Amino acid sequence: MKKLRLKFSKTDYMVYISHLDLMRLFQRIFRRIGIKLKYTEGFNPQPKIAFATALALGVESYSEYMDIELDQDIGIDELREKLNSNLPEGIKILGIIDRKDSPAIMSLIEWGIYDIEVELEKEMERDEIEREIEKFLNQEEIIDIREKKKKKKIVKREINIRDLINNIQIKSLEGRKLVLNMFLKTGSNGNLKPEIVLKKIEEISSLKFISEFPRIYRRELLIEDDGVLKTPIKSIE
Amino acid sequence: MNDMDLRDILLRVEKPSRYIGNELNIIKKDIDENTIRFAFAFPDIYDVGMSHLGGHLLYNLMNEIEDVYCERVYSPWVDMEEVLREKKMEIYALESKDPISKFDFIGFTLQYEMSYTNILNILDLANIPLRSNQRREEDPFIIAGGPCAYNPEPLANIIDFFIMGEGEEVNIEIIELYKKMRDSSRDEFLREVAKIEGIYVPKFYNTVYNEDGTIKDFSPISDEFPSTIKKRIVEDFDKSYFPDKFLVPYIKTVHDRIMIEIFRGCTRGCRFCQAGTIYRPVRNRSIERISELARKLIDSTGYEEISLSSLSTSDYPEIESLVSAMMDEFEEEKISISLPSLRLDKFPIEMIEEIQKVRKTGLTFAPEAGSQRLRDVINKGIEEEDLINSVRKAFSRGWSSVKLYFMIGLPTETDEDVLGIKELGYKVRKEFFDRPKEEIKGNLNINLSSSCFVPKPFTPFQWFGQDSIEEFDRKIKLLKDNIRDRKIKYNSHDGKLSFLEAVIARGDRKIGEIIIRAFEKGCKFDGWSDYFDYDKWMEAFDELDIDPHFYANRTRDFDEIMPWDFVDVGVSKEFLKREWERAVEGRLSNDCRQGCINCGVNKEFSGDYC
Repeated sequence: MKKLRLKFSKTDYMVYISHLDLMRLFQRIFRRIGIKLKYTEGFNPQPKIAFATALALGVESYSEYMDIELDQDIGIDELREKLNSNLPEGIKILGIIDRKDSPAIMSLIEWGIYDIEVELEKEMERDEIEREIEKFLNQEEIIDIREKKKKKKIVKREINIRDLINNIQIKSLEGRKLVLNMFLKTGSNGNLKPEIVLKKIEEISSLKFISEFPRIYRRELLIEDDGVLKTPIKSIE
Repeated sequence: MNDMDLRDILLRVEKPSRYIGNELNIIKKDIDENTIRFAFAFPDIYDVGMSHLGGHLLYNLMNEIEDVYCERVYSPWVDMEEVLREKKMEIYALESKDPISKFDFIGFTLQYEMSYTNILNILDLANIPLRSNQRREEDPFIIAGGPCAYNPEPLANIIDFFIMGEGEEVNIEIIELYKKMRDSSRDEFLREVAKIEGIYVPKFYNTVYNEDGTIKDFSPISDEFPSTIKKRIVEDFDKSYFPDKFLVPYIKTVHDRIMIEIFRGCTRGCRFCQAGTIYRPVRNRSIERISELARKLIDSTGYEEISLSSLSTSDYPEIESLVSAMMDEFEEEKISISLPSLRLDKFPIEMIEEIQKVRKTGLTFAPEAGSQRLRDVINKGIEEEDLINSVRKAFSRGWSSVKLYFMIGLPTETDEDVLGIKELGYKVRKEFFDRPKEEIKGNLNINLSSSCFVPKPFTPFQWFGQDSIEEFDRKIKLLKDNIRDRKIKYNSHDGKLSFLEAVIARGDRKIGEIIIRAFEKGCKFDGWSDYFDYDKWMEAFDELDIDPHFYANRTRDFDEIMPWDFVDVGVSKEFLKREWERAVEGRLSNDCRQGCINCGVNKEFSGDYC
């Protein structure tokens, strides 16, 4: 087994480390546990590690995925045990599977499932919140303006984010503490940040939030396989 | 500090992982009422502080002592400071996230003078009084060590006590004493700690000044305190403590690699160099020990690079065998070896080629002065021929980018010497093009860089009056106006910063109040050009009626009492005087390895060449 897919969580203090830092961390962990990775060819060989998709700073995730290629054999259980006893608190390997020759994870991800914890400005009934969310979802067009820097010029682009939302539901409500479950387009083929959705909900509905930095949890990432949504590990099994 | 509070601040700042701790090899300990809490404080940002070898050493060593928990604190970057102040949160240690104001000790490392305002900022962010005499019984002891501690006087009103020299052993003695005296008063502890060799407690010493501002007398207030403070060293360097694990940061730091100190000190005797004196005598680490450490450190960190560091790495007695041994061991694992501080004039270029297998990055040489005459004055011991030969060899092997480092304002310097920098640049250029056309490869890139010379204590140039800022500017302009070649770039450092560095480096106790005043005016990160505010510093001097030129630009007499004269670094004042005289005459002194030049260090210490 040389081509593997790993599922891991990124929580606690580890939510503050960036995508590039995470890459470096894994490279060093593999060297530390004495597992040889395959390297790319060429002038500046890089170990073969690829993440499914980037995770924004501050977001907790329970379903990150990465593909690795090993230059040696090792049992899956042994690898998982070695990684988990060496990784810092906040990164944990949840599963490993032999990827065989299935497609690499990069650019496969289509959807993400998130929980967003917010505080409502004023207490509201569950029904009332549900109606407001429905109103929001019933919009045909929800325009968000995205800015991109191109050759030092800022280029503005309008996009309809309604197409990037699959669903939004109430997960829990306790007093003013509301947890929304969002099913959003994620990855390099289109991406929508939960914060943007919150902002648009506030613009369109009567829901108002007061948390400046809402807690966001990524629960799952999904790929599309012949029109069926699957987790990156289920898609191999 | 709870995690929710932290979350609210960490998402507002850039690179939040500077403030989370939790790195690989972090040390976690249970804290109880017996725990002695020590904060190792680096007065610059995490990215710089984590690149400092001494910090890794101290962190691991202190944590080996029973009942001691050593944690870390770095200067927060300006965005983080703003949030901490806005939220009225105290600066915390990375390991436990507890405020450092509750610690027993805060130990600052003094690596460069221009970080002193950052020390004050850390104290201020911890709500600890800036002045030693205003601290209360419950405040931590504020202590300091490191190369700049050899002239402790500018910080005498701020730091409770200093550690002179290598802390490996003396730190343990301090802790042992503290364990016995936890219930004693602040003053009682300071009285006892002052009796440990290598410890300087400023409040037990008095300075009397002459009318002209020079020092008339410096002495302890009572016989119970030593009149000179002798530095401490580790005699058996090869067996001395070196950690077998390093903290591995998440962000890319300045030196993001394993650092192994292969020897301490330097045999060369360059007359401008303070490190060359204060780290004497020279002590080597054996190849066996270095190899053993390298293996352990790679296994514990997973790092991809090892740096073999020292003041002059090519002077390691068996450098070629060492490099080959390391390459043999680590090449297959794709671990690279780097050799900082090489004297390329004396180093086989083939070896550089070997370790830089992938890319031919630029080569850096440090002739320090443009003319042979001036290089002899500073005892650099580089011949122009050596340099040109190395450059020629490098060009023929495909290098095309060369950096040359110089200083301007060295003693006895004339305009001719300054223009020698340009001449050297042009000679290097000539070497590149004076070859058959088919051999010329790449795009020639010569970078000449000059800093402004800062005379430092414990060097033969400690009596020398620094060039004025105007004179630095004139010399820089002279060079700029004369370098007219698009292959040769010239950059210069800010004379104002070097002027201030010279004031503090040779400052006395009066400078301490200047540092506090400058800090109160908002000075911090003075070593960062974006934050250095010369005018504010000048206001501080004005307001306290202290003349900075007295410290920076005045040439001292040999018999003047220097603020640091009471510190015994081993090297004698007679030797420094003798070297100054030889410098003025342009006479070279030999390398310790070719025979003893009687610097005096071997009277009290012994090294590998003495």
